Amino acid sequence: MRMGSSLSFVRNKFAEYYRSNSSFIQPPTSIEKREFGFLLLKERFMLRHRSFENVGVLRSFLKTTVPSDAYYSGAYYERPEEKMEEKGWLGADLIFDIDADHIPTPCDKNHDSWVCKNCGTVDKGLPPEKCPECGEQKFDEKTWPCEVCLETAKAETLKLIDILSKDFGFSLEEMRVSFSGHRGYHLHIEHEQVREMDQMARKEIVDYVVGIGLEATLHGLEKTSFDNRSRILVGPNLDENGWRGRIARGTYEFLLTATLEDLKRIDLKRHVVKTLLDQRESLLESWKEKGPWGKMKNVGVESWKKIALHGAQRQAAKIDTVVTTDIHRLIRLSNSLHGKTGFKKINVPIRGIEDFDPFKGAVAFKDGSVTVFVSDSPKLRVGEQIYEPFKEQKVELPTAAALLLLCKGAATVVE
Amino acid sequence: MFTKSDLAKYPFIPEASKFVKDLDIKIDELANPEYRSVLNRAQERIEEAIQDALVSRKLHNYGIEIPSFPIAIMMVVALANSYIKKRYALAEAKGVYHQLEAEDSEKIIEIAKNFDWNIKLIEDGSTGIYDFSLHFTNFLKNGTVFRDEKWKLVNRVMLQGDVFLTKSEASRLLQEEVQRYIEGKLNVKIDFLPPNIMERVEQLKQLLIEKGGKFRSESLPKTVVNAAFPPCIRELYDNIKSGHHLSHIGRFALTSFLINIGMTVETVVDLFRSFSDFDERMTRYQVEHIAGEKGGRTKYIPPRCDTLRTHGVCVSTDNICRRIHHPLAYYRRKLRSVKKVVIKPQKE
Ligand code: SF4
Ligand SMILES: [Zn+2]
Ligand SMILES: [Zn+2]
Repeated sequence: MRMGSSLSFVRNKFAEYYRSNSSFIQPPTSIEKREFGFLLLKERFMLRHRSFENVGVLRSFLKTTVPSDAYYSGAYYERPEEKMEEKGWLGADLIFDIDADHIPTPCDKNHDSWVCKNCGTVDKGLPPEKCPECGEQKFDEKTWPCEVCLETAKAETLKLIDILSKDFGFSLEEMRVSFSGHRGYHLHIEHEQVREMDQMARKEIVDYVVGIGLEATLHGLEKTSFDNRSRILVGPNLDENGWRGRIARGTYEFLLTATLEDLKRIDLKRHVVKTLLDQRESLLESWKEKGPWGKMKNVGVESWKKIALHGAQRQAAKIDTVVTTDIHRLIRLSNSLHGKTGFKKINVPIRGIEDFDPFKGAVAFKDGSVTVFVSDSPKLRVGEQIYEPFKEQKVELPTAAALLLLCKGAATVVE
Repeated sequence: MFTKSDLAKYPFIPEASKFVKDLDIKIDELANPEYRSVLNRAQERIEEAIQDALVSRKLHNYGIEIPSFPIAIMMVVALANSYIKKRYALAEAKGVYHQLEAEDSEKIIEIAKNFDWNIKLIEDGSTGIYDFSLHFTNFLKNGTVFRDEKWKLVNRVMLQGDVFLTKSEASRLLQEEVQRYIEGKLNVKIDFLPPNIMERVEQLKQLLIEKGGKFRSESLPKTVVNAAFPPCIRELYDNIKSGHHLSHIGRFALTSFLINIGMTVETVVDLFRSFSDFDERMTRYQVEHIAGEKGGRTKYIPPRCDTLRTHGVCVSTDNICRRIHHPLAYYRRKLRSVKKVVIKPQKE
């Protein structure tokens, strides 16, 4: 737990931020129809069902209250300040959340850990569904914003943008991408047409993006007969649109890289695995024509279905499915601070997303330094500066780096 | 342009309403003998809905056919029975579907535009089997009720926001739209109807009661039968009984399921009582919210199987699961077999 002086340091810095930057707080559209929620810094209490007439009132609220986190509803309500069932839901934006918490990465074992709240079991990486020791499902998680994880999240975001623009037809102007200030990206669409979609419709969009329920046989994988001769298996091609092309490209990639273990894991028959490995080169060659689908007599439609689905998984975008289907969800306010890092949530120009550096772009405090005692931290970067892991040591750090450690509860201010 | 016969086929389009309006029929004049055949046909529409779940089209006399629709609507409203409302809307919509399938593409587009559909004709034949492209929001508004995997958006050909459809698929989606539209029409209050109409409404009520055995048994018994829980609910229920925490969606699925099969708010709240961080006020609030007692308006039903599957709540399935798509449907089905075991010996 944070010491008193650390907490007041954080509070002072957050207050300073909102004093001098509140003009950067952009109001969501139709601000008066949104519900706002704030996590209070000292009390650790979530204040919900607030609403603001205009951005001026919101800004002065932030200045005086200094929350650790500020959220607003993706939904529009007649009466946002009422209890949920009396708000009068009018519609909601379409929101996607891509968070490293939902994407296993090779490095999460290095920087993340969890403690079972019930029995105290501790382990590295992301927490399991249930505690292996006692079966409980409540954990204290310690996760860190990490370059590799954030790059992975960014790659998923790019896939999402691709699907939303090519398949769903949203223009780049209609999509707003932002870095959450912690471990991921948000993509926000305010288009009139999506507002009234119900949860079922949103779930279908989620399934589309994630590829849930995908059937290769409904995307061109089928037996057809040419000039009445024997039936031959055909399938989608690399340059096709939508999931057809994704299935083809995913299959291509999979065939290109699959190891013996990979192929066994997706439950293929032994002779199929052998054929695929032996004939890898000619199968890859076959994409120049009709693709590999009908090439091997002993690799039938059932096997190809498995391969195609597995390949397609790599083409899907790994979003947090719950966020998109929840039509009452609160989302972080742009340019507000993230209580777990002291970084700010910041919009990312969609055309420049590949060059976006979250560890620079989201830094909210550029001046000053402070001496802290760090109990335990992984390797980190803030701005240009890289910090090797600290353990039980006193260091003087620039404000932004110190805040990150303080917010994470990994350090205390040395008085 | 719509012909008179079109209006008889599709009596819900504005032009049909206008046609009826121009006839200038006054409610209290409906008792006059000249309207007899219109009333007959209106009553027949509803009978067809009750008997066959399909309203036929009698196109030879549009002067009767067109006004019989709004009058049938009034009668259904007067029946004040949610089952017949649904059934009638479905039967009318099915009738529309059969007409649409035989229409040419331009007509289908014209009708779809009535519902603000963003639909286009595919002209160049480059897409093979498809006739139309429809914006995905229109598609989803009507397509999520279907279970077949070919209706899942992920299995559709979609390009730049447009979902490609065959004529029969577009007609099927329009059927849903029409059904919803008619259901909306039926959700009104009528203060007064002349006695001769009320007489017909009484006759329809009788017919409904005769036929009603089927849908009556559909409603659930008042007591909760644990033995009929589907595997997903059983798992959640057992978890909570043994003091394990549930995920958000798990909690929602369990609570809404139990409320829907008739468990009281009290009993459901008690289930959560064993938790160390049990907060009576919050729990009660949430359960009541789901039960719809507080705000009155919303009563939630549990998520469908595919949603539960997506969120990892569906852990194991059994034979019944294969035949249903909703945990409540599982419960109903299982009840029948459970009842056979439990209730039969008592009767004998
Ligand atoms: S199939 Fe449906 S009813 Fe059966 S366990 Fe899964 S979610 Fe429950
Ligand atoms: Zn444990
Ligand atoms: Zn990492």
